[in-house]
Amino acid sequence: MSLPRMNTARLLIIAVAMMMLAQTAWPVTVNRGLGPEPDSLDIHQAQGLSAINLLRDLREGLLSFDAKGELVPGQAKSWQVLDGGKRYRFTLRPDARWSNGDTVTATDFIRAWHRAFSPQTASATAGLLQIVMNAAAIMSGKMAVDELGIEELEPGILEIRLTKPAPWLLELLAHPVSFPLHRSSMDEPRQAPVNGPFILAGWVPRSSISLEKNPGYYAASSVLVDAVEYFPIEQPAAELLRFRARELDITETIPPGRYDWLQENLGAELRTHPYLGSFWLGINFRHPVLGHSAALRRALALAIDREILVRVVLGAGEMPGWSIVPPGISGYLPAQMAESSWSQQRREAEAVRLFKEAGKQAGFGQHKPLVLELRYNTSQLHRRMAVAVSAMWKQVLGVATELVNEEWKVFVNNRKMGVVTEVFRGGWIADYSDPASFLDLFISDSALNTTFYANPEFDQTVASTHLVSGLARMELLRKAESVLMQDMPVIPLYYYVSRHLVNTRITGFADNVRDVHLSRYLAIAPENP
Amino acid sequence: MRQEGILQHSASRLLGLIPTLLVLITIAFFMIRLAPGGPFDSEKILPPEIKANLEAKYHLDEPLVKQYFRYLGQIITLDFGPSFQYKDWTVNELIARGFPVSLTIGGLAIVLAFFLGTLIGIVAAMRQNTAVDYSLMGVAMLGISIPNFVVAPLLILLVAVYAGWLPAGGWDWSVQRMVLPVVTLALPAIAYIARLTRGSMIEVLNSNYIRTARAKGLPEHLVIRRHALKPALLPVISFMGPATAGLITGSVVIERIYSIPGLGSYFVQGALNRDYTLVMGVVIFYGVIIILLNFIVDILYAWMNPRIRYNEAQ
Repeated sequence: MSLPRMNTARLLIIAVAMMMLAQTAWPVTVNRGLGPEPDSLDIHQAQGLSAINLLRDLREGLLSFDAKGELVPGQAKSWQVLDGGKRYRFTLRPDARWSNGDTVTATDFIRAWHRAFSPQTASATAGLLQIVMNAAAIMSGKMAVDELGIEELEPGILEIRLTKPAPWLLELLAHPVSFPLHRSSMDEPRQAPVNGPFILAGWVPRSSISLEKNPGYYAASSVLVDAVEYFPIEQPAAELLRFRARELDITETIPPGRYDWLQENLGAELRTHPYLGSFWLGINFRHPVLGHSAALRRALALAIDREILVRVVLGAGEMPGWSIVPPGISGYLPAQMAESSWSQQRREAEAVRLFKEAGKQAGFGQHKPLVLELRYNTSQLHRRMAVAVSAMWKQVLGVATELVNEEWKVFVNNRKMGVVTEVFRGGWIADYSDPASFLDLFISDSALNTTFYANPEFDQTVASTHLVSGLARMELLRKAESVLMQDMPVIPLYYYVSRHLVNTRITGFADNVRDVHLSRYLAIAPENP
Repeated sequence: MRQEGILQHSASRLLGLIPTLLVLITIAFFMIRLAPGGPFDSEKILPPEIKANLEAKYHLDEPLVKQYFRYLGQIITLDFGPSFQYKDWTVNELIARGFPVSLTIGGLAIVLAFFLGTLIGIVAAMRQNTAVDYSLMGVAMLGISIPNFVVAPLLILLVAVYAGWLPAGGWDWSVQRMVLPVVTLALPAIAYIARLTRGSMIEVLNSNYIRTARAKGLPEHLVIRRHALKPALLPVISFMGPATAGLITGSVVIERIYSIPGLGSYFVQGALNRDYTLVMGVVIFYGVIIILLNFIVDILYAWMNPRIRYNEAQ
């Protein structure tokens, strides 16, 4: 009689003990999908999004992001903007520490910046900071690194000088390329001390990257998880399977074409949000017909039914695009094409009219149909897009389109050379949340201008934005964008969205246009029985 | 006398490795550089001065022939250089971490395939043209024809997502995470080996010396074990060389679906990224493994086949 009762009591004690153990000793770990294997954890070599996301958990710049992706003070506690935006003065946090206990000093920033611009480092992302005084000359080896426009005025006070006002500088100071470096092991990113909320605890290439909470981080008490496990998973389909098996709490993306299924089956966990990126078809202005007929370019743009494209062809929550700059930048209203408010029927009628007009000038029409080439890099999604667009062009305008599918490296090379390209897949994801990140691509001497579009009016308008600030600047930028939308060097198709699957027990994951989700704000809610 | 023969034979085969490898290195070196686009071409076009800095850093600004001899000089010291794509790692490090994983999965898969495949093959051959034979060979045919990229997600869905018995992917050297990839990788090999074994076993079972053994009154299982098995496995052995090489060097499909950090993806990713050093490192590594395995198979073959042994002894 008493034996089973004792057993029950014993079991109860063990159970209670285990529960207490679970509450106190069990480390809280968040498992996140990372996308592709990070290219480097060297702040000056990292280019891919996965490396940049990791670095933002491990390290911190003068500024950082809050949970909603808004800029907040990071290693700098405050700053002043001087000389009409050409000089920034930062006061560092006195409690900013490296993971080995050393204080983060202004010298650590200067050392890192010298390394970023030195030709030996050959950093691909240092170009983002080209607006810093003398940066361009240093990168091309014409000037010594100590001429760079960064200086320690007194201990803890750092000054940065620019060649021209750049309101987006603050956001770049939250980009890894501008982070500080500890004086030891600068060239060994796997061993180097870090100054962020987490430290690197392990890295097995293409398998997992383990981060542990950094107890020396100044805001360590607000970091709610003990560890973050990042899993580089290149295949979105594989990532989805691991999320469904509950091995991941947060995914980096979702597989294409699965949006409807996910909405139906994992609706509470599917998170889509506008993202600062645009997808478009670029047009090579060196092409004898395309480059000389704005009417033709507009006709091609209007003949595409974007509703069908985003809903049926892509089906991952994208939004129809009518401008180069996507919506979501505070204080800026994109200069969308006027036809965006029309019905598709009316757009197509206008497209036919413009196409005939262009045909008369350039000598194509019913007897001599126009043949165009649409070039894209190998991807299931791009192929679907290209097939749909060519079908729409055929149906509305009678244009014959040859689809050319190229491997990534071949494609980007051809696009850069601009010899064989006609119409090609293009797009841009903002480096910083400012219209200039998109509009600067179309300046006639920009290395990134793969359309070879050149319009002095546009160049001058963009140049004039450097002389003003605030609302007046945004107004001028909008004027520049409307010039682009008139000339149409690109045909906007859709705006990107960020897509994640987030386990419902995760808190602190706030959707935002920058799609930054620092692990320091995440927490795991206790599971409800 | 015979021992010396085999030793001499082995030594000359091993020496023959060097010119083969040299040809392989030369072809691969120039081929990957002939492919359009370079390691630093990307969406974000680099300013020319930065690109020049990068090329100088990796000696890509030198004439091709000079680069070639620089590379040869480097690999003599077994240093494959830094990876262009995974900048924090050297190619040696990547291979040293990737190969044990591929070797484990591939090795387990080939062992599984060998035992299960021959067993199925023998059973089918002994029950030739019965329902057992037909159903086994039917399943084997399915195993050969259904590709990995269909089998793998199906297995994950059934075993990991719905049943929750095993993890859906990833790698930590635990047995649970090995099961699905090993099975997926082994399936086509099991099927192929089963068909090979069945065919050659039937042929052997119809030969005169087997009839003699049976006439002596030997029980059937002894006939198989003592007399039929060895010669019936000869075609399987010659298949095992290339099959092992193929399996232990990693499969891109398996690695990507199960997120396994093996060698297979480095080859494909390296080529797509124009990661010259990584591609070269993996090519040379593969080359050595394939040549070595073929060499081992030759020796095994001689040991197992009395006809070859007899000829060499004479």
